[in-house]
Amino acid sequence: MWIALVITHGLLAFLLLGAMTHQVVSVWMPARAGAGNFVARFRAVGSANYANAITLLYLVTAALGSYLYTNYRITARLTLEQGHYWKSFGAFEIKEHLIAIGLAVLPAYWYFWRQPLDEADALTRKLLTALLAFVVWWAFLAGHIANNIRGLGT
Amino acid sequence: MSGSGMKNSGVRSSQRFRVFAITFAAVYATIYYVVLVNNWPLFSYGPAVGEWTLFNHAVSDGPTMYWYGWIATSAIVAAATGLIASALPENLGGKLWSGFAWLIPVGAIAAIFHLLGGYFTH
Repeated sequence: MWIALVITHGLLAFLLLGAMTHQVVSVWMPARAGAGNFVARFRAVGSANYANAITLLYLVTAALGSYLYTNYRITARLTLEQGHYWKSFGAFEIKEHLIAIGLAVLPAYWYFWRQPLDEADALTRKLLTALLAFVVWWAFLAGHIANNIRGLGT
Repeated sequence: MSGSGMKNSGVRSSQRFRVFAITFAAVYATIYYVVLVNNWPLFSYGPAVGEWTLFNHAVSDGPTMYWYGWIATSAIVAAATGLIASALPENLGGKLWSGFAWLIPVGAIAAIFHLLGGYFTH
């Protein structure tokens, strides 16, 4: 069961990473009109459309990760400690704190992306998006590395 | 209620949520760092034995997890503070700078990196 949950968690995290990356790129590097290549289309998405999905995906992924964390604590973490993988261990420790801080900013992130967007809050919206993108990317990479060290079903 | 009355009510509740969300982000991030450093969880959990204990108490066997308890402490304090702030008169709450919602969490993240930096120089 744990393996199925880890894979589900990974897939949800992947969806979240994709949505978050689309949004942060479109906010910080919006596409110019008329640009038609792949990168330009990636930058040209309607960033406001992603906020609800990102909020929901963050909550669901974090909830599932919180449940999996109990198993990590008594299995994979010991592997990291005994193998002296201190950088990976530290990255995962920071991940848990970043996820917690992400929960702190989630209501504000959701609020500042509500339609109609208020131009007066544009900078706050951009920075909250960048902050959440940093959290999601760090969490994804740290979780992926820890999982690669431990392996599935070992 | 008339259309304009409903609109005014919606604007007011939106303004209150704005104050709540900014306060929640700032207070939660600050409190989270404080409870992390001092280890003040609302409860603790032992995953090996499935045991819950109140506050910071080691479980009877195996490792003790405090993370859930740190989040609970921070969320409760932040939600209570946010509710109080959102109940303030609009002329006070409306002056709350929206940048607190990202600036204080960024500060908390920087402090956490500093706190755990030893893992990367081990």
